Amino acid sequence: MKFGYEFIKGLWDENPTFRLVLGMCPTLAVTNAAMNGLSMGLATTFVLVGSNIMVSALKKVIPDEVRIPSYVIIIATFVTIADLALAAFFPEIYRVLGLFIPLIVVNCIILARAEAFAAKNSIGKSALDGLGMGFGFTWALTFLGIIREILGMGSVFGIKLFGEGFVSWIIFILPPGAFLTLGLILGLFNAVLGKKKKAQCS
Amino acid sequence: MELLLLFISTVLINNFVLSRFLGICPFLGVSKKIEVAFSMGLAATFVMTLSAIATWLIQHYILMPFGMERFLQYGAFILVIASLVQFVEMFLKKTSPALYQSLGIFLPLITTNCAILGLALLSALNGYDLITSTVFGFGAGVGFTLAISSMAGLRENMEFGDVPEPFKGVPITLITAAIMSMAFMGFSGLISM
Amino acid sequence: MKNPIARLIIVLALISIGSGLFLALTYTYTIPHIEANAAHDQEVAILETLPDAVSFEELKNTEFPIYVGLDSSGNEVGFAYVAEGGGFQGMIGLMVGVDPEQEIITGVKILSHSETPGLGARITEAVFLDQFAQKSISDNFIVKEDIDGVTGATFSSKSVSAILEQTLPKAVEQYRESGGGK
Repeated sequence: MKFGYEFIKGLWDENPTFRLVLGMCPTLAVTNAAMNGLSMGLATTFVLVGSNIMVSALKKVIPDEVRIPSYVIIIATFVTIADLALAAFFPEIYRVLGLFIPLIVVNCIILARAEAFAAKNSIGKSALDGLGMGFGFTWALTFLGIIREILGMGSVFGIKLFGEGFVSWIIFILPPGAFLTLGLILGLFNAVLGKKKKAQCS
Repeated sequence: MELLLLFISTVLINNFVLSRFLGICPFLGVSKKIEVAFSMGLAATFVMTLSAIATWLIQHYILMPFGMERFLQYGAFILVIASLVQFVEMFLKKTSPALYQSLGIFLPLITTNCAILGLALLSALNGYDLITSTVFGFGAGVGFTLAISSMAGLRENMEFGDVPEPFKGVPITLITAAIMSMAFMGFSGLISM
Repeated sequence: MKNPIARLIIVLALISIGSGLFLALTYTYTIPHIEANAAHDQEVAILETLPDAVSFEELKNTEFPIYVGLDSSGNEVGFAYVAEGGGFQGMIGLMVGVDPEQEIITGVKILSHSETPGLGARITEAVFLDQFAQKSISDNFIVKEDIDGVTGATFSSKSVSAILEQTLPKAVEQYRESGGGK
């Protein structure tokens, strides 16, 4: 089932957030609520799959010297599409994600997968790789978002969990809480699963 | 005066790394030794200031006059930034090999530093004029350098501490960043906008 | 046999052009929706701050946009305008509804802000904003005297008061000068 592995590896073994430690900027910024993490993850997945497919399709055509600018143009194209589509059809999500939609362009995960995988593999495998990495990123962000939202606002996906008397730890939806949650979770994962050699960005 | 306030607020109050979450990858990756971190900060500040100017020019003289900014902005900005970094690298290599040796290796990393694209976008979003944009870019760089150098200082000291094995490296850096971020929140009331 | 440099340039150019074309297409398709969303948000804000209005018109020849509310018979029932000012963490944008006859505020809605989530951001809550309704436009809106601020967000609350106090007189003046009023 080699084919299936290309998809599965992104979910756990090579999870971009918890194992490869890539794409940290959006991970910290948009996980203040579960819905935000989920939306960012899905938007990134869209760009990742699109760019992986495109890069793989054009891999024989793009000369080596201009591969990075070419990849960047391709990635920026998909990001702009996602940006316009969200602004047009999901204005609430668009408002919340704000600046971080265009920042998907410099999300290391996408460029890293384009260079390390899509440029050397078939379109089918590249698509699966993108999907797996994207979903791995998505569940990681949603997971962090759920934790921060429960502790910081007492709700999950906007649904209040506790009664009026619950005093939330607001710090968790603020910047320090982002750093703290991610740091503790990463430490925990390392303790339980053993450390993984991290990927480098560029 | 307003520019000075903008500069201070960008460095301390809305610090790019600790409040806005921009530039996290290099912040986590290149903050092990103070000299290295500081060099990275300098290189980044230089590129940020230049790219603040370059992207402003592209935005106002090419994109906006043709009404293309809504859908060509991201591509145009990132290409300008990547080209700028390329030129700076070539320029450094030729004119000052010594400088290139200490700073040059960080330059490719700076292209994917979200702080650069982030500041270009924020500047366009807030409609800053050229001078304001430049000050903003410079302030962003200084704030980044401040954050990354402080972190390096702390990490150098932590080498002597007893960090549990699973937390070594990125996790403990993040937890430290949490405390730094809390400290920086104290600057919040410094200036009323 | 293509010159390798020519090939670099051609490939890059083709990709750029392809990208540009595709994006222009996407843009043309999505921009009507984007603009409709913005118009809708603005409409909602105006009508919320002018409870008696069912529609509105923009006044001509004003320095800044003033929207006159109309009831179902087409009579003017006040006007709304957008006010901005500095908050704790950035600019705060408000939609303010005014009844110029009775010289009172009819409603305030926060359009945009960057205040601290869970603290300053609570200026968007009705508990805080409803206090401004029915207040005279010459009020000083002093927090802790005329207005109860949001707990733990005195600065943000005071900012809203300040914006109202500073912009109301000018807005009423603009309205009257531009021929508003029956």
